[in-house]
Amino acid sequence: MEKIRITLDVNGKLCELMVAPNDTLLEVLRDDLDLTGSKESCGEGVCGSCTVHIDGKPVRSCLTLALEAEGSKIKTVEGLASGDQLSDLQKSFINHGAVQCGFCTPGMLMSADALLNENPNPDKTEVKKALAGNICRCTGYAKIVDAVAHANHPHEGCPDCLPYCRSESKGEE
Amino acid sequence: MSDYAIIGKRMPRVDSRAKVMGKAKFTADLKLPGMLVGKVLRSPMAHARILSIDTTKAESLPGVKAVVTGKDTEGVKWGVFAYTRDQQFIQTEKVRYIGDEVAGVAAVDEETALKALDLIDVEYEELPAVFEPMEAMASDAELVHDDFPNNINVHVNIDTGNVDENFAKAHYIREDTFVAAEESYFQAEPYAVVARFDHEECLEIWCPNGGPHMKSKPLSNAFKIPLHKVKVRKIAIGGAFGGRSEICPADYICALLAQKTNHPVKIVFTREENTIATRQGHSMITTHKTGVDKNGQVLARETTCYMDGGAYSSTGPIATSVPFLSMEQAYRMGSVRYNGYRVYTNKPIRGMIRVHGRCFAAGLDTQLDLIAEQLGIDPVEMRLRNSRQPGEYTSTKSYVSSCAMDETIHKAAETSNWKEKFGKLPAYHGIGIGTNSVQTGFPMGIRGGSQSFIKFNEDGEATVMSGVVDNGQGNDNMLVQIAAEELGLLPEDIHLVSADTETTSSDPGSYSQVSTFVGGQAVMVAAKNCRKKLFDVASKILEVAPDTLVAKNRMIFVEDDPEKSISIKKVVRVSLLNFNSVNAEGGYWPKVDMKREWVKNPYGQMCEAFSFGTTIVEVKVDPETGQVDVLNATACQDVGKALNPLVLEGQFEGSVAMGGQGGMLTEYHEWKDGRCLNSTMLDYKVPLACDMPEISTIIVESIDPKGPYGAKEAGMSIAMSAAQAYAAAVSNAIGVHMDSFPLTPDKILAAIKEKKAQETQAETAAGGRLN
Repeated sequence: MEKIRITLDVNGKLCELMVAPNDTLLEVLRDDLDLTGSKESCGEGVCGSCTVHIDGKPVRSCLTLALEAEGSKIKTVEGLASGDQLSDLQKSFINHGAVQCGFCTPGMLMSADALLNENPNPDKTEVKKALAGNICRCTGYAKIVDAVAHANHPHEGCPDCLPYCRSESKGEE
Repeated sequence: MSDYAIIGKRMPRVDSRAKVMGKAKFTADLKLPGMLVGKVLRSPMAHARILSIDTTKAESLPGVKAVVTGKDTEGVKWGVFAYTRDQQFIQTEKVRYIGDEVAGVAAVDEETALKALDLIDVEYEELPAVFEPMEAMASDAELVHDDFPNNINVHVNIDTGNVDENFAKAHYIREDTFVAAEESYFQAEPYAVVARFDHEECLEIWCPNGGPHMKSKPLSNAFKIPLHKVKVRKIAIGGAFGGRSEICPADYICALLAQKTNHPVKIVFTREENTIATRQGHSMITTHKTGVDKNGQVLARETTCYMDGGAYSSTGPIATSVPFLSMEQAYRMGSVRYNGYRVYTNKPIRGMIRVHGRCFAAGLDTQLDLIAEQLGIDPVEMRLRNSRQPGEYTSTKSYVSSCAMDETIHKAAETSNWKEKFGKLPAYHGIGIGTNSVQTGFPMGIRGGSQSFIKFNEDGEATVMSGVVDNGQGNDNMLVQIAAEELGLLPEDIHLVSADTETTSSDPGSYSQVSTFVGGQAVMVAAKNCRKKLFDVASKILEVAPDTLVAKNRMIFVEDDPEKSISIKKVVRVSLLNFNSVNAEGGYWPKVDMKREWVKNPYGQMCEAFSFGTTIVEVKVDPETGQVDVLNATACQDVGKALNPLVLEGQFEGSVAMGGQGGMLTEYHEWKDGRCLNSTMLDYKVPLACDMPEISTIIVESIDPKGPYGAKEAGMSIAMSAAQAYAAAVSNAIGVHMDSFPLTPDKILAAIKEKKAQETQAETAAGGRLN
C-alpha cells in the first residue's frame, strides 16, 4: 500500500514519518517511533492497554488510524513524567503497589491521567467507572483504584500514602 | 515483632518505576537488527490425518525467508515427563485440535508472513473427533493417541485403606456430582517469542516463562545442542498464572526459523492464539461421596474426577492430582479413595492454572455445607471440625509442620461478621465460606533446588544472581528484599541478575508456588555466606568477634556497642586490598520424598510447607435477572510470614478477582465442534474494576520452620478459597446448592425457578392435606 507522509505531535515533539493508510496509531507509535510503552493485548479495543491521549481524551490507539491523529496532540505513557521526575499519579501507582506484571499499567495510567485532569479528586466509584475500559488480570484493581483516588490527595490512614523512601530512588529494569 | 530492617515492610516494588514509565521491555517490544516476523499455520480441523503439505508457493512469495514443517523437526516430542511426551512441536501425521501447529513462516513483515500462510497447501483427511471426556472414554470412541485405550491419558489412584469400613460406620452419607467448564489464563501479555542464533551458534531466546531453566532444557534436547548454548534471557513478563511454565511449540518454531534464516525472528500471538494455542484450564466432572459421624467429622470420602485434558498431556499427571491434594491438605478425611482420570479430547491442551480444580474444591465445600445443614451445624463450625491441624500427616503422608488453618477461619468469620449474618440475611442475600490449602512446591527432581551467587562490587553495592523468574507477582522485589536484609544494604544497592540461563544456576521456576521458599531461600543462604565474609574482615578491623556484629543500613557495627562501626563499602575495599574477593554462593534444596511419583507412588513428603486460607463472601442475587452483586469479600491466608504485605495484599486481591469474581461467576469457554467460541477478550468475561467488591485482606503468619523467615506459598490459595466462597454465598442466597460452575445468570435463574416450582408443589400438597 502506498505510504503517505504525515506529521504527528507526540509528547510535545513533532515527528515526520511515512505511514500506510491502514496503519494504526498503535503500530506507528510502537514500530516507527519506538514508543513501546503502549501495549497491544486484545487488538480489538476491549482491554485498554493501548490507551493514549489525543487532545487530552483517552483513546484506543489500536482502533485509531495514524492518519486520523495528524493535527492533534498525542500523549503516551512515555510523556507522563518530566524527564526523570515522575508525575504524582505514577508515584502513587508505585507506592500503592498498583503495578504487578505491568502490562496493563501504561493504558491504566493514561485512562487515570485523563480522569484526574477532569476531576482531580475522584471518589472510588468515579475511578472504577473511568477505568472500566482497562483490563488488569493481576491486581483485582483494588490497589489501582486506591492509587488513582489518592494520587492528588493523600488519604489519612492509608499506609501507602506515606511512601517508603524508595519511590524516588533509582528503579530497576 | 521481629527486628528486620526490610523484611516484612510495605516496600514498593523495585520493578515498578520502569513499568510506570513505559520503559519495561516485554518480548513483543524487542527489536533486533534484521529481525523477521514469524507466523504459525494452525490446523483448521479438530482431528485429521495430514496427507500432504506443499510449501512451494509460499516459499516463492517475495519477502518470505523460510517455511518450516514437521519434516524439519526430526519428530522431537514434548512433555514434562518421559511418559507424557506426546506432542510434536510441528505435527507430521495428525492434527489433534483446532489450532495444532502445522507449519511456520518467517518473512520480512507481517503482511507477507500472513500471505505465505495462505499459500501453504495442506491436504487433510478428516477423522472422527471426540470433544467430551465421557464420550471420549466410550469403548468405540476414536483414539486421539493410538497407544491410549479409551483416551485415558492419566489415571491417578490414591487409597488410604479402610474406606468402605468407615463408610459402614458413618452416621450420614451423601454423594453429589459437580461439573465445571474450563477457564483460561487471559494473561495481559499475549504470548510472544524472539529467537536468534549468535556467532557461536548459541540459541538466544526471549519469551514469557514460568522458569527459564524449564525452557532451556527442552530446547537443548530439541536442537541437540549443549545446555550452555541455550541462553534464555530475562524479559518483563505480562502474567503467567501457571500457564507459561512449559515450552511452547512457538518457541521451537521461532528458533528453527531463526536457525534456518540466520536472522532473528519474532512471533507475537494474537489474543485468540494465546487462548487456544498455549494452555487452558481443565473442565471437570467430580463426584464426592462423603460419610460423617454424628458430629459432622468426616470418616470416609470417595472422590472420582474426570478431567478434559485436551489433545496432549505434558503436565497431565500433576493436573490429575493437584485438586485432590489441595483438599486432602485442607481437610482431615479419615480415610479416602481417589480416582482421577485425565482424558484426551480433540480440544486445546489443558495445563496447570492458578484456579485448577475450582469445581472440585467448590463441590467439596458445597457438600460439606449440605451435610452441615442436614446435621444442624454452622458451616464455619463444620470446617473447624474437619480442618487440618499442625503436626499432622495428610492422607498421602506429607507431614504438615506449620498450619494456622483454624486461625484463618476464625479471623475471616470475625471480620465478615459471620455470626450476625449467616442464616439471618434477607431473601436472595447470602454469605458463604471456602477454605483451601496449596502446596509450596512439587517434587521437581533435578530441578527442585535453586542456587544463588552474590558478588560485592568495590563501591559497596552487590550483584545478586538467581534463576528465579518474575512473572509479575513481584519475585524480583522479593529477591532484592532478602538480599538487602541479609547483606545490610538498601534495596537500591542490590543489582539483580536473574532468570537468565547463561548466568544463573538451575531453579525450579515460579511453577508450583515455590519461588520464595526455594529461590528466595537460596539467595538468603548465599547472602548469609557473603555477610560472613564481610564480618570476618570487619571483626579484624573493629577487633571484636565476628558473632558480635550486625549489618544494617550499609554499615557493620557491634550489636551491643553500635558506635563501634565501619561502612560495608570500606570493608569490601579493605578485603579487596588484602587479596580477598567478597562473594559467595548458597543454595536450597527442599527435603521432599524423591520416591514420590504422581501416578506410580503418590505417597510421601510432597513439599516442605503448605499454605492454608479462608475466604468469606457476601452476595446479593437479583432473582429477576440472576445477576450476582458481590457486596464484600474477606480473604485470609496463613502465608507463614509476610515478606512484603503490600505485595501480598495484591496477590490476595488479584486472587479474589481471578478465582472468585471471574472464576465462579463469568469465566468459562463455549465450544462448537471443538472450536472455541469465546477466545477473545470481548467474548471471554474477565472481571473489570467496576465488578469488584470491597476486599478485606487478613494475613496470618504461622512462621514455617523451613521457610525463609517462615514464609510459604501466597499466590494461589486465595484464588481457590475465593471460588469456593463465591459458590457457597450464591447457594446460600438463593437457597439452592449449586452443582454446575461457573454460576452464570441462566443457571441461577433456572435454580430459582425450579425451587419456586417445588415450593408451590409442596404448598399445594400441604393445602390438599389441610382440606
